[in-house]
Amino acid sequence: MAPEQIIATLKTLVDDGKVLTDPSDLDTYGKDWTKIYPPKPIAIVFPKTTEQVQALVRFANEQHIGLVPSGGRTGLSAGAVATNGEIVVAFDYMNQVLDFSASDRTVVCQAGVITEQLQNFAEEQGLYYPVDFASAGSSQLGGNLSTNAGGIKVIRYGMSRDWVLGLKVVTGKGDILELNKGLEKNNTGYDLRHLFIGAEGTLGFITEATMKLCRKPDNLTVLVLGLADLTNTMDVLQAFQKKLDLTAYEFFSHQAMGHVLAHGHVQAPFETETPFYALLEFEAVSDQVMDDAMALFEQCVENGWVLDGVISQSETQAHNLWQLRERISESIAPRTPYKNDISVVVSKVPDFLREIDAVVNQHYPDFEIIWFGHIGDGNLHLNILKPEDMPKEEFFGQCEQVNKWVFEIVQRHQGSVSAEHGVGLVKKDYLQYTRSPAEIAYLRAIKAAFDPNNIMNPGKVIDPA
Amino acid sequence: MKVLVAVKRVIDYNVKVRVKPDNSGVDLANVKMAMNPFCEIAVEEAVRLKEKGVATEIVVVSIGPKACQEQIRTALALGADRGIHIETDAEVQSLEAAKLLKAVVDKEEPKLVILGKQSIDTDNNQTGQMLAALAGMGQGTFASEVVVDGDKVNVTREVDGGLMTVALNLPAVVTTDLRLNEPRYASLPNIMKAKKKPLDTTTPADLGVDVAVRLTTLKVEAPATRQAGIKVADVAELVDKLKNEAKVI
Repeated sequence: MAPEQIIATLKTLVDDGKVLTDPSDLDTYGKDWTKIYPPKPIAIVFPKTTEQVQALVRFANEQHIGLVPSGGRTGLSAGAVATNGEIVVAFDYMNQVLDFSASDRTVVCQAGVITEQLQNFAEEQGLYYPVDFASAGSSQLGGNLSTNAGGIKVIRYGMSRDWVLGLKVVTGKGDILELNKGLEKNNTGYDLRHLFIGAEGTLGFITEATMKLCRKPDNLTVLVLGLADLTNTMDVLQAFQKKLDLTAYEFFSHQAMGHVLAHGHVQAPFETETPFYALLEFEAVSDQVMDDAMALFEQCVENGWVLDGVISQSETQAHNLWQLRERISESIAPRTPYKNDISVVVSKVPDFLREIDAVVNQHYPDFEIIWFGHIGDGNLHLNILKPEDMPKEEFFGQCEQVNKWVFEIVQRHQGSVSAEHGVGLVKKDYLQYTRSPAEIAYLRAIKAAFDPNNIMNPGKVIDPA
Repeated sequence: MKVLVAVKRVIDYNVKVRVKPDNSGVDLANVKMAMNPFCEIAVEEAVRLKEKGVATEIVVVSIGPKACQEQIRTALALGADRGIHIETDAEVQSLEAAKLLKAVVDKEEPKLVILGKQSIDTDNNQTGQMLAALAGMGQGTFASEVVVDGDKVNVTREVDGGLMTVALNLPAVVTTDLRLNEPRYASLPNIMKAKKKPLDTTTPADLGVDVAVRLTTLKVEAPATRQAGIKVADVAELVDKLKNEAKVI
């Protein structure tokens, strides 16, 4: 079928005006935050219903055209990038909250509901949706689930996966499946719901999700501590976890904070300069909890782990202290960072950090390294900034060479080459550092079962057998 | 030079305020409270004056229920030297607050009194001015810069159309505007030290002030919810709607 015929047919499958082919739209909707791969989709379509998505999948199967899902386009692994004449299926108009049950504490959302919209909806009901991250104002629920997004509250609330009680999906074969139907308990064989979560749209597209909500946390209070050394992050974590249920535990380097402060509108927590900082959050529900936190701080100072610290005295201050962590990605974005998102089990973090630090210093002596991450989950965001005078291609070429060293350490510690950003195109070639050949063969078999014609987000995560 | 700073405990700036179902006021049950942001700026200014060697002692005062001591402790952690808590569970309005502060001024005889220009709960913007009148002091309100120069203080004020600088004889009253400074965070070591700083408690009766309410609130209502917008097809329709429906052109 000629491109004009394809576009003409697409216009019959979705509502009027919901097919875009303008070059600037193709560029905008054809990529995510990675901006490494030049986008080249044939058209952008905006379905409004599950049935329209199904019609698009059936058409793509007939014509053997790839479909690329697009949500808030905040992905960092090029999972939602169309480089090869695909049709981009954008969920922006499937943005309705369809149903809410106060007694089940569940909410049914279309895939294009924005994370913050869900958080606000929960709050209006006196409840809480706990998955949160810096891009919550743009990212869509469908994308969150397709990448099993993590974020800043994982230490207490887990990943996106843990909040899904039901999914409606259109499989690569064009079937509509209703998975788990909102049930808390349902042991009836293979749980297909979890195959679609984190699949990056390679098995089918999520069109609706039944999400679980919980009690709103009480009086969230933030501590920012200045640490003497990188490995003190784990000493401090263990000390606090013995006494308090932390809702977040983040760390960042002095360089990372330097970029945030230079970017403006954020204030340093204290005058003491320390090489690393930890941000802790907990529910200060009683004077006892506050006294415990103070005693723990004193203990950390006495042990030489912590050199200075502040505590939020108001929600405004808590919000402002979070900016020190949340604005890192934004403040280094102009420097075209090479992003690593690696993880190990928490007990292996100190050794892991030491080895990564040594390798990075050995191989990237001239590059500026920015350390931060959800260290309480064993998750490290290692960002390498491009020297301003180095061409992009040369920079990424050099980073890829050093990836091998970093990923070998990850493999030795049985860690993950992509903790929460997904695989997409960026990490596809490194999958074998985390997944065994036998495991990858099973992944391919699953892909073939749901998407025999390889039309669902082709080229992402794994190639078909 | 002794500096007196008044601080008020208010609903946290970040909290979404809810009106009570019976419209009698704002729901305060289980709502996060914090120091009024303009008072934070007042404390910060006093601490900076002390760091410059201008102020020698900072006394912080707050009026309200026992829980106000949290905000006094915060001010002590930020650098104030001692606290005075005027304990009352009654609703204290601007004139009564000014009279109570006047009584503290008479006792402490500070050279400079710094207050926030207004509190974000009642938005009255009265207490500082009333205190200046009652105490017979000059006033520099809406300060964006405070420079103490011998027996005078030069206060740059944010006024409509620009900045005005007034020179006041000490003692004087200064109220702070948003751009005066950026308050620091209370450090944990200083919070622990603040627990040992003196905090005296007194009452309106001890100070000889009657705090009986003179104003009665009739009704509190949430602002009307905004109507959803509409999309127009073209400029002609937009102009038509602006002319005939909105009647703005």
